[in-house]
Amino acid sequence: MSQQKKTIDFGFSEVPLEEKVKKVKGVFDSVADKYDVMNDVMSFGIHRLWKRHTIELSGIRPGNSVLDLAGGTGDLTKEFAKRVGKSGRVVLADINESMVRVGRDRLINQGIAGNVDYTITNAEALGFPDNTFDLATIAFGLRNVTNKDKALEELYRVLKPGGQLMVLEFSKVTQPLLAKAYDFYSFNILPKMGKLIADDEASYQYLAESIRMHPDQDTLKQMMLDAGFDKAEYLNMSEGIVALHRGWKY
Amino acid sequence: MMLNKALEFILNEAIRLDEGHGAAFKPLEDKVFTLTLNDLGTTSHLLFTAYGVSVQSDLQGDADATIETSLVALLALPQTSELKGAVFHGDEPLAEQFVDALNSLEIDWEEHLSHYTGDLIAFKVGHAARSVMQTKQGIKQQAGDTLKEYLQFEINALPTKSQVQRFNQQVVQIHQSVDALENRIDTLLKSATTASH
Ligand SMILES: C[S@@+](CC[C@H](N)C(=O)[O-])C[C@H]1O[C@@H](n2cnc3c(N)ncnc32)[C@H](O)[C@@H]1O
Repeated sequence: MSQQKKTIDFGFSEVPLEEKVKKVKGVFDSVADKYDVMNDVMSFGIHRLWKRHTIELSGIRPGNSVLDLAGGTGDLTKEFAKRVGKSGRVVLADINESMVRVGRDRLINQGIAGNVDYTITNAEALGFPDNTFDLATIAFGLRNVTNKDKALEELYRVLKPGGQLMVLEFSKVTQPLLAKAYDFYSFNILPKMGKLIADDEASYQYLAESIRMHPDQDTLKQMMLDAGFDKAEYLNMSEGIVALHRGWKY
Repeated sequence: MMLNKALEFILNEAIRLDEGHGAAFKPLEDKVFTLTLNDLGTTSHLLFTAYGVSVQSDLQGDADATIETSLVALLALPQTSELKGAVFHGDEPLAEQFVDALNSLEIDWEEHLSHYTGDLIAFKVGHAARSVMQTKQGIKQQAGDTLKEYLQFEINALPTKSQVQRFNQQVVQIHQSVDALENRIDTLLKSATTASH
């Protein structure tokens, strides 16, 4: 599908495929150190609840091995590390070195060490053997990945049989009135806040646009099934501002 | 989710403040317990690791032990030193060890949970106490009931079903109650250190 195209969406402005990877990297390079504050401001702290809900539903337990792909500054990694304990393992993988560095320092400061590995990886080519993880997550990351189908196939490959993928991502707002308000917020207010806090209007403009270009709930579910997942389902949170997609490998 | 967060916070704080640094929980490392509160109709999974306790709604596979009890029994734990009427499944000796460890923390569940649930309960309990001259036990029962109602309400209002507005309120509420609890603990710690000097 998108492979046939010479250009690919970068937010709304179409850019050549190779450039997208570079551009996305640039976006996260420029926001890495302000990322956590921005997250809180942008979502009014609600992202914490979305993440908490995801963690609780994961069903994770001591001894499990977990891949937190596009793990960024490590919000999910931190909670997973506490839950899998010293007999388990969490791998935080992200394409951006600055994000990983901020995340690693933050987690070590909070006493999370010994059961977490950090690695710089592109979601489209995971450097892990087949059947490695009990759980894989990609939170607010998939929309930035150029070839999403490839990333989903890779995620399927590295999961153990019985393993579960959780994709937490902005999605299509189901409530019409809210959808309007949300659009206004994303396109008018969010970039301004980005400028105010991170002095980086362009990056947050990109975030807003990339949210709009991301596949809706049913499309993403189908993409997961096409990538090989044996079962897929989704759950809307906050009226579909965010959706949690779950896929299982049998 | 709210109840799980509250349980997690209270247990970790209690372990942090425990004189023995939660030594009673050491043998429970990497064990999982399922705690069912029948009167609330809730099931929580408690995971003990070297990092402390985590509480969650779902669990892959079975817990090492299951404890079926009630919020009322949990609230009464400091007085009774046992979970009255609790039923254990799975590794029963392990379940007993868990209850003993819980007991060793001497948590005033009622006080902490009512901080968590905010002024609402304090108001209701205070009101009940003023209007009817009740026995201490009666008030305790009342507190348990109010709390039960409140938590039931919170549990029904799961994020997926509620609106963004409601989320904001809940976030503010959590922040406030966590702040309040932290302040209290800070004050307690301060008075403890001044007392020992
Ligand atoms: C919005 S952040 C989310 C971080 C974290 N998961 C969270 O929820 O807070 C998106 C992350 O995706 C990473 N990312 C973007 N494209 C990627 C790719 N192709 N492979 C791996 N990570 C990628 C970025 O570097 C960034 O850290």
